Amino acid sequence: MIPATRYYQIDQPLLHWLRGSNHVDPLALHVAGEFVESNLGSELQADGSVTVRMIAQQYLFVPHCILVPAGVPVHLRVTSADAVHSFAIEGTDTVVKVSPGNVSEAELQFPSAGQYKTACREFCGAGHYAMRSKVSVVPREQFPALRSGERGTCAIP
Amino acid sequence: MRFPKAKLTASFVALAGRIFPCLLALGGALLQAGDTPPERVPSLVEWTVDTTYAASSGDAFRGMLLARHCEHCHGAEGFSPQPATPNLAGMDQLAIWKQLQDFRTHKRQSRVMAPIAESLSGKSVADLVAYYSKLPVFGDRQDNRAFPASAPDLATKGVAWRLITFGDGERGIPPCQACHGPEAYRPGVPSLMTQNGEYIQKQLEAFADSSRANDINESMRTIAGLLTESERHALADYYGSGLGSQPGSASGGK
Repeated sequence: MIPATRYYQIDQPLLHWLRGSNHVDPLALHVAGEFVESNLGSELQADGSVTVRMIAQQYLFVPHCILVPAGVPVHLRVTSADAVHSFAIEGTDTVVKVSPGNVSEAELQFPSAGQYKTACREFCGAGHYAMRSKVSVVPREQFPALRSGERGTCAIP
Repeated sequence: MRFPKAKLTASFVALAGRIFPCLLALGGALLQAGDTPPERVPSLVEWTVDTTYAASSGDAFRGMLLARHCEHCHGAEGFSPQPATPNLAGMDQLAIWKQLQDFRTHKRQSRVMAPIAESLSGKSVADLVAYYSKLPVFGDRQDNRAFPASAPDLATKGVAWRLITFGDGERGIPPCQACHGPEAYRPGVPSLMTQNGEYIQKQLEAFADSSRANDINESMRTIAGLLTESERHALADYYGSGLGSQPGSASGGK
């Protein structure tokens, strides 16, 4: 029976759950789970590091501006709601490929405060060239003390 | 995608490894349920195959009979006599269906539409959607409609045409036509080419201050927040005067 089973006939969600994979349903990001909109943005961890959760979609990064402290390890978790995108940060060599159904992860650390422009580097459709956003790096003291459940983003100018 | 190679014992270990953290997390969630803010869910609609099928398998004839109740506000031909009420003629099926679902689940707030949407069955919603999406969008002088308003001045047209065609890459604003047509559409996104300007303007303002928050993954709230107030007015005036329906009209702005 097992040799007669094709790989696509296996119940993928069950396997993903058992193996603890980074699988998410791209069509249901907004309904439940890690990437609901109240969970997007930067989250302060107990050890002082910051976890950033973000959605890339045609033709927008949400949240549009990310707030992170300088000199602190930043754990980036990105997923896509529709097509393949990539998240490139200007002035660094960070390019994170983002595909629907998976969570892409990256470890970043910004040495100094400043504004970094970011862009999508994977052609994703008619509005691809306008798919740009910002990372705002602030000194460590200026980063707000986020309580549990609170997420930090910078205000849209 | 790989076939699981783990033996039975290994999978039991994996199973236990998944279940125990879950139990711990559940206990933790119950303990600190008081001080964590609740999840914000913008809309319960997911564009799965089943949803798309349910939204696009209505009976347009039954919808035509039901639509007699909508005529007073949305017009006999799907074009509203009041400029602040949306036109429904020729609108994409999924777009109207999603808004009716959001009115039913109170994800989009409206004192008028919420009780109406709640009173409709799932089949009636699909039927109405099928009817309105099939109505023609060309002009009719005998119909009392607000639709093409007078065209804005040249400078306003230029601002709007630039945003619709190119967006603003520097600020990260995608072009309107990449999702709202005619260049491309996405599921559940309304066409704006025959929409009333005043309605578009009100919705953009509501998105900008998050009083309307039923857009999936915060897309329109982000974009409307990036636009300035004069740009929101310019876009509404441009679409509301029917200029958006001229496909590829570079002369619309110039």
